Amino acid sequence: MKQQENAVLKKGLKLSDILVTVLVSLVIGVVYHFWSSVYGLVPPVFFQADELVYGMWFIAATLVFLLIRKPGVALLAEVAAAHVEILFGSEWGIQLVLYSVLQGLGAELVFALFRYRNYSGTVAAMAGVGSAIGSLIPDIYYGYVADYETWMLFAKYGMRAISSMLFAGYLAYALAKAVEATGVTSLIRPVTAKDVAALDD
Amino acid sequence: MKGVFAPSYRTWMHRANPVLKLGGSILLFFLALFTHRPDFMLYQAVVFILLLFWQSGYAFWKILLVVLSFILVFISSSSTMMLFGKGEALWWEWGLIRITEESFYRGIHIGLKSVTLAAEGLLFVLTTPSVGLFYALMQNAKLPPKFAYSFMASIRLLPMVWEELLIRRNALRIRGGQRLRGPRGWVAAIRLYAVPLLSQSIRRAHRVAVAMESKAFDGKGGRTYYYPSVFTKFDLLIAALLLGAVSLALLLGGTLPVFSIADIRNY
Amino acid sequence: MGGFHADLPPAGAAKTPMSGEPAGEVRDLRLKFPGEDTFVFKDLTFRVERGEKLLLLGPSGSGKSTLLQVLSGMIPELVDVPMRYSERVLPSAWGMLFQDPDTQFCMPYVDEELAFVLENRRVPREEMAPRMRDVLKKVGLELKELHVPIGTLSQGMKQRLALASILLMEPEVLFLDEPSALLDPPGRKQIWQAVREVAEARTLIIVEHRIEELLELELVDRVALFGPEGRLLGQGPPEELFRSYRKELLAYGIWHPGVWDGYVADFLEAYQETGPTVGGQKADSYRQAPEGREQGAQVCKPAGKKHGQTAPLTERKSVGEPAGQPVGQPVMVLTDFRGFRQGRPVIHAAQASVYPGDFIAVTGPNGAGKSSLLLSLMGLLPSEGGYRLSGQDMSWSKLRNKMVRAVAREVGFVFQNPEFQFVGNRVDQEIAFSLLEETAGSEEVSRLVDEALIRFGLAGLEARHPYQLSLGQKRRLSVAGAAVLKRPVLLLDEPTFGQDAVNTFAILDLCEELRREGAAILMVTHEEKIAETIATRKWEVRDGVLTDCGLTERGRPRAGIANPATVGVEGTAAANGERVSV
Repeated sequence: MKQQENAVLKKGLKLSDILVTVLVSLVIGVVYHFWSSVYGLVPPVFFQADELVYGMWFIAATLVFLLIRKPGVALLAEVAAAHVEILFGSEWGIQLVLYSVLQGLGAELVFALFRYRNYSGTVAAMAGVGSAIGSLIPDIYYGYVADYETWMLFAKYGMRAISSMLFAGYLAYALAKAVEATGVTSLIRPVTAKDVAALDD
Repeated sequence: MKGVFAPSYRTWMHRANPVLKLGGSILLFFLALFTHRPDFMLYQAVVFILLLFWQSGYAFWKILLVVLSFILVFISSSSTMMLFGKGEALWWEWGLIRITEESFYRGIHIGLKSVTLAAEGLLFVLTTPSVGLFYALMQNAKLPPKFAYSFMASIRLLPMVWEELLIRRNALRIRGGQRLRGPRGWVAAIRLYAVPLLSQSIRRAHRVAVAMESKAFDGKGGRTYYYPSVFTKFDLLIAALLLGAVSLALLLGGTLPVFSIADIRNY
Repeated sequence: MGGFHADLPPAGAAKTPMSGEPAGEVRDLRLKFPGEDTFVFKDLTFRVERGEKLLLLGPSGSGKSTLLQVLSGMIPELVDVPMRYSERVLPSAWGMLFQDPDTQFCMPYVDEELAFVLENRRVPREEMAPRMRDVLKKVGLELKELHVPIGTLSQGMKQRLALASILLMEPEVLFLDEPSALLDPPGRKQIWQAVREVAEARTLIIVEHRIEELLELELVDRVALFGPEGRLLGQGPPEELFRSYRKELLAYGIWHPGVWDGYVADFLEAYQETGPTVGGQKADSYRQAPEGREQGAQVCKPAGKKHGQTAPLTERKSVGEPAGQPVGQPVMVLTDFRGFRQGRPVIHAAQASVYPGDFIAVTGPNGAGKSSLLLSLMGLLPSEGGYRLSGQDMSWSKLRNKMVRAVAREVGFVFQNPEFQFVGNRVDQEIAFSLLEETAGSEEVSRLVDEALIRFGLAGLEARHPYQLSLGQKRRLSVAGAAVLKRPVLLLDEPTFGQDAVNTFAILDLCEELRREGAAILMVTHEEKIAETIATRKWEVRDGVLTDCGLTERGRPRAGIANPATVGVEGTAAANGERVSV
């Protein structure tokens, strides 16, 4: 009997993994683009209220990872979501793509710390914070944020971290669960040894 | 939609290789990121806004509108530093707000930096169609085809997702039912939109991937190209242009200083 | 390219005891989707000879498409599914045409898409353009230039473009996975004509539900009939198979020649106000319960004389109006009604009325304005002119959610893609969703939900996620969700599209039931048979203009259907007399 070679042997991302990652991330990017452009019409000057929804930027990385569960997709997702800004000819295009690399890496590192085997909301929340830290690094050179009044620095990045946990963590987790319930994720997850064994029934 | 957003004429910038432009834009990004002298920053902003008018290929009034929106970019990026930045020479204080001389100039510098990056970014995105970018990245920058084609295929699928979003909105309007209020209702509403869009997108992307692979796409390389992406004299021209723009900004910053601050961080 | 050489079992073909070289073969195939209890295939052996033109037929879910993917090698090389086999022969060069015209392309332009295949095969650049023109000509898609956005092509043209791109693979075997299922009738015809043009010297392996066109063209020389769970029931030349397996074809609700005529005869008989036997059709019923419908089967059964006469419809209407004219109050009236998209009028109805008990088929070519009509009626597009629903004025020019809700209180809407209207995580929640907004007691709600579950053949599936249902079940659930509210008007947007015979008929039966309870049915459809024989009235939308084509044969008073108000002892007798000759 010829048994198929299991997907475990096929390392790396398949075309379908990449395509699903990119499309889902672009969709998230589009939604975010329109949401933020409406939102951005009233810039909250005195209070950094936009930080409270900043975590939405990092949802692509965590959501796609929770759906596909493979190494590398979190980083790719973040870059793809930012690519939308290039597509739409936004002022922030190039800048956001470069930011997204660090943000994606932040999330990716957290998932890697858990050996890509933990798909819980808490780990997703930590990955969101990872992205937030990733976004802080260029901010230091770009916005000299280290020269903010200390309370402001903490307020700004505290809000960002909390929003990352809520959006990129728990919201992403809830959405991934809801999508899982539709059964569509079986398309993109590898076949397990148990499934192959079920052929002997 | 296409009419308004398509460039009205093609410039040197359009003809240059996207990979060269991307590389140039990234270098310019880092240059701005690590520019700490306000005068140099100011002239970078000025020079690249001028370049945007000249090379974007769009009508003057359209670019003017875009450039006016830079005011918003300037305000939103500079205000926090101006109002809440550290500093000794206090100008004005009101509650938590402390405007100091240091934080004020730092804010101006950040605002100029944002405007520069916005102009540079737009110069790139307005002159580079996405399909062309990925074609070039694949051919000239060794981006594996499976990544390039994933982007190109997804971009093709995006309008369908948009259509579906509209259908879903109609369906929810007919069915009504926003029973939950507050954050829980919020999450419920997001879920109502996200689940059909995400699951349909996953299915679509998967189907397209399978269809592509069934057409002998191996995603690794070793392809021929119908539209070869090559380097031309326009690339030399653009490289010179960008280099010239930076030199001009540097020169103007040195000869016609406005702020005369050497390094904004140690101000 | 040539399939996946590396994975070919060595000398697989040589071992086969059968004569000749097979185009594809698999022995002792076992295949099961992850997490499912039942096998798709259990020890199936299947072989296709070179040059054969083969049609795989079977009920939805019998694994036909999966078999195509196994025979081509797509499973498991491209799609990871638990499976195994003892022997397999893959075609040396093959191409697969899929169902959905929109998910086979990766590039925005025709030339780029065709170039994609040529680039994959490393064809030198100079040869590309001539090859593209050559294949486009073969599939009858002659474009003025090659650099045309794929988005501007019709669905039927896209499908022919997909076929052209597959021809660039120089396939020896063509796999066709329901290529005409999502096309309108002209598109269906064209794609099969194109297939016939290129079929020579190739092996064809076809999966398709709607087979009128391909049989008309005598495209296939063998039909293999599969039953549930991937069992091969029988095979043979088309005429022979359709003759000797008629019972199975009916039992599994598979499209086959004559299925419509049989169903329509049964339907007309069943839904007469009285139930005389119109000879012949009783033995094999075309109208049978789809999967899981047993418990509620009686609601689909012919309503007897008594039931028919006491239907609410009869009570609502005044008896004694002139025959042939709609009676009672119209539930929807359009006078000089216009719907707009981006400020431009896209649909105009000079005068049209809908009465309780109407079954109106809305027909017309794609893009003529059928969806615009539905959207403007629902208040989702701005409109002007006269629009009355159940006596209330519904005309407005500004879009407001309040207005949509006001319409939705009178009109139920069934979307073309069921998934886009689902809001629940479970089948029962889905049905209960709208009820909970309007019905007071939760006991009442659960009673109505249970009733609907039985009636729509969804009993036992309460806890299932709506997305995890079969295509037919999804469709029935979407109708259930709209019908449970018992609105006077029900709009359905191509509800039978892509459905197999048994589910198509189930939907029509359900609509007829609702109609008899007094609802007006407005169904957008491409199906001529529905428009001509099932509906009582036909509307046509052409170039943005709605025309009322009047009553259909069935709707005319002598058929005794559209005008149940005349159903009295005399009226019924007269109708019966006419019926036999119909």
